[in-house]
Amino acid sequence: MPQVRVNLYAMLRKYVGGATSVEVEIEPGRTIQQVLDELGVPADQTRIIFVDSRAADLSQSLEGGEQIGVFPAIGGG
Amino acid sequence: MAVIYRVNMSDLSIRTEMPGVKYAQTGGRGLTSAMIAAEVPPTCHALAAENKLVIAPGILTGTGAPCGGRLSIGAKSPLTGTIKESNSGGQGALALAALGIKAIVLEGRPADGKCYRLIVNTDGVKIEPADGLVGLGNYETVGKLLGEFGDKVACISIGQAGEMKMAAASIAVTDVEGRPTRHCGRGGLGAVMGSKGVKAIVVDPEGGQRLIPADADTFKAGAKKLNTALKAHPVTGEGLPKFGTNVLANVINAAGGYPTRNFREGQFEGTEAISGERQHDVILERGGQIAHACHKGCTIKCSRTYLDKDGQYVTKGPEYETVWAHGADCGIDDLDAIARMDRMDDDFGLDTIEAGATIGVAMEAGIVPFGDAAGAIKLLEEVGKGTALGRLVASGAEVLGKAYGGSRIPTVKGQSMPAYDPRAVKGIGVTYATSTMGADHTAGYAVAPNVLGVGGSVDPLKPEGQVELSRNMQIATASIDSAGLCLFVAFAVLDDSTALDGICEMLGGLFGTPFTVDDYLAIGRATLAAERKFNAAAGFSPADDRLPDFCKTEKLAPHDAIFDVADEELDQVFDFVE
Repeated sequence: MPQVRVNLYAMLRKYVGGATSVEVEIEPGRTIQQVLDELGVPADQTRIIFVDSRAADLSQSLEGGEQIGVFPAIGGG
Repeated sequence: MAVIYRVNMSDLSIRTEMPGVKYAQTGGRGLTSAMIAAEVPPTCHALAAENKLVIAPGILTGTGAPCGGRLSIGAKSPLTGTIKESNSGGQGALALAALGIKAIVLEGRPADGKCYRLIVNTDGVKIEPADGLVGLGNYETVGKLLGEFGDKVACISIGQAGEMKMAAASIAVTDVEGRPTRHCGRGGLGAVMGSKGVKAIVVDPEGGQRLIPADADTFKAGAKKLNTALKAHPVTGEGLPKFGTNVLANVINAAGGYPTRNFREGQFEGTEAISGERQHDVILERGGQIAHACHKGCTIKCSRTYLDKDGQYVTKGPEYETVWAHGADCGIDDLDAIARMDRMDDDFGLDTIEAGATIGVAMEAGIVPFGDAAGAIKLLEEVGKGTALGRLVASGAEVLGKAYGGSRIPTVKGQSMPAYDPRAVKGIGVTYATSTMGADHTAGYAVAPNVLGVGGSVDPLKPEGQVELSRNMQIATASIDSAGLCLFVAFAVLDDSTALDGICEMLGGLFGTPFTVDDYLAIGRATLAAERKFNAAAGFSPADDRLPDFCKTEKLAPHDAIFDVADEELDQVFDFVE
């Protein structure tokens, strides 16, 4: 089955036991929201999402092979 | 009663002035820029007697406003040749405000070339020889002064770089623990202080008092609104206290806008090792502190204390910009080496952004290889020794780049671009190009809607909408910098209208008059207008409001992006200035 890599950051890492990154097997066509639901990451805690360095949203569907970055609301400077 | 102290370093005299109606309702950047624009000849040499250094707490500083302890220092900049305001946290602004001081203005230049210290307390200002301080770094300087005057004083000081009048020299401000960790970093204002022959200013707030708002109820209601919004917003209420400013490293890297190896690439393979998340873990493993306030009354607490492997204090933070400048921009992924360089910058009195970017240019020039942390530290050590190479490093990226025949020098108006590549984050590119300060991310933080999803959303990779975004951000920022509020309140302001209501109520309560959002933004517009006029009179034209050529010609991986906001559009940013 195709895989995607989900990279989680800042406050979101606590939902995956502190891991920085997890590999997830997916059926092609699964959305980012569905993948996060399966990982136990609450969608309402996410604010910034990238798929292969391009901004994306929770409804974007995945084919496999993608790198997904998911961030909560963060800022600094 | 608010006072302005004019300290004439030519004849060592002090004059006390009342601010008058003209300056009654201004402070911070609004005041420093208004005074520089009115009193400094725009074409003067920045290190000449004609330049002035204006040191001013913000309008709300000393009132108990949350996150209201910013100190603005302004002058004509020796780095950029433009007007400059550089601001800092730390205890300096609060101490000045407690003494009812609206501004201290350093004028002239000592004829004898000697070095002095100023002692500021309820009796006024005293000028004394800086015996025993000359040639010292900020840590030793401040250590001696606190030993003499007690740990309740705040110190505003320069290190060796400022004494040598180097264009990347900063002015240090002590934090709550009395360490010189907070800096007015940008624009070489430490060199202006050095040219005035002032090594340090000791501010003793003993006997001073909090400013009393004319309408205390309105003020209190406003302060509560802002505080509630800051606590509720996930950026200011959770992300910044827990992970610090460097929480940005991973997200800017993920967006492909993390300048790597002197702006050659937009992603750094070593980002995780120097990220805010990793820094958080290292700090806690070693017994350091997160959620540290850089001044009393800060409710965000994005500062932290960084210890070495043996548990010994090294430095604060380090902050996102510093970690980037000495890290990704130099190809270095060693957090301990970066922290050591941050400590050295603070001690010598260098802008960490300019210092790191200059080392990046030095690496491009082949002086040391990219990724060589030991080599980077050696380059910085040269600054402390005052060698010819050290002076080049302390003169900033543009000077060092020219000295070594470089053509990829990441500066605008002579000041290094900070930690967002303008090709992948185009809104911040507009700010870098057009800011009255040279390349400066804080002047109009378009990163928030470009990348962070705060304050709406504007595609960072497209040129559309960036000019309007940057304009609005630059106006709002000049207002925040004048109010004396930490720029990070903007994260709450951008998403929650009650935060801005709170700021306006605090200002209205302080003045005892109704104060609207329009009144608030008028401060920013007037400040920018004064700054633009100064720069035009100093010889700057639209041709200076441009990014370095390589941003328009070299494609940046991973997006293969170039900076493609049209010049004609850039020229519209200040269309509100007559």
